[in-house]
Amino acid sequence: MRRTNELTLLPKLPLLITESADEFDALRDAFEQEIKPRGIIEQMYVHDICAIVWEILRLRRCKVVIINSAFRNALQSLLKPVLRQPGQYEYQVEGEAEALAQAWFTDQEAKKQVSEILAGFDLDESAIEAEAIRRSSSDLELLDRMLTSLESRRNKALGCVAEYRASLAQQLRESAERIIDRKGVLRLEDAASEHSTAA
Amino acid sequence: MASERQIAANRRNARKSTGPRSGAGRKRASRNAYRHGLTSSITSTAAYAKQLAKLVREIAGDSKDTIVLERARAIAQAELDLARVRRAKVALIERASAFGELDPPQLTVTQMIRFVNAFERGRPIPKPIDALATMPSKEPDRSAEAVRQVLPELRKLDRYERRAAVRRHRAVLDFFGGMRPDYNR
Repeated sequence: MRRTNELTLLPKLPLLITESADEFDALRDAFEQEIKPRGIIEQMYVHDICAIVWEILRLRRCKVVIINSAFRNALQSLLKPVLRQPGQYEYQVEGEAEALAQAWFTDQEAKKQVSEILAGFDLDESAIEAEAIRRSSSDLELLDRMLTSLESRRNKALGCVAEYRASLAQQLRESAERIIDRKGVLRLEDAASEHSTAA
Repeated sequence: MASERQIAANRRNARKSTGPRSGAGRKRASRNAYRHGLTSSITSTAAYAKQLAKLVREIAGDSKDTIVLERARAIAQAELDLARVRRAKVALIERASAFGELDPPQLTVTQMIRFVNAFERGRPIPKPIDALATMPSKEPDRSAEAVRQVLPELRKLDRYERRAAVRRHRAVLDFFGGMRPDYNR
């Protein structure tokens, strides 16, 4: 009951239309089981960690898709110089390279043909991937910077929970000592008053 | 560099201008410094103020101590700032996914010359590229492309988010420097 109240107080994390709210809830439940937040402040930190991890997952998915979507253009640009015969210009083989790059995704024969052409230059499919990464390097670099920043923030947020709990433990220790001291003072006062009445 | 006389004349002329006079003009000028609104006060709308008050009460508990309430307010404000930046991030991605771009591309000088030449010679005017048509139609490619398009903006927003998180953590430590949290509530 308490948990529901705290969660409704905290702003709900907005998700993309294509993202699953159930998956996010499952992620949050997993973190809550692990960290076992107590009180609104710890709930805030856990909420924060979940939001950061969710964004990390989103950007990682994007990274893969960005590389994959650069494959066709990468293959096309890789095929142009290898298809070109001596005395030919690249634009003369542009159509063939485009058709072969298109067919590579759906036609096994085309895939085999591309592998053979590349093998003639001691290249394999990893050359296509390398070209795809090279072509999207500026986006990937930005994505990597954001991922690094998010990962460091996630670690800091985890550290914040620990720091908060440590400061709380310290405060509880200090409060306990104060109470013990006060009791000690009272005991001494009681003893003093007993002495005075006896006298 | 302006001479003494020019500076004096500029100052005299500036005194004659007192800014916009009409209501609409004053309203427009009041938003001159507005850029993205992320650093503005969170209490600028009634809904935010209500949410802020609820969160402050939850953090501070039954305390009526002004300092405790002020510290709780700092935590709540930073928390709502974080939420606002996160909403802005998602809204940007959704917008890029829906329209294919954030801002319409500006025509280059060459494109303008081509446009004018085509118009003068009665040739068909080149159609602008439809950004939406360049977006992948299927998921997750479309979302990834939208994220790719708004990456520079996301990075800027990330900096705001980081600052808000630091501010909240400092506020939390300040808050518990003054009072003990009640875990049994």
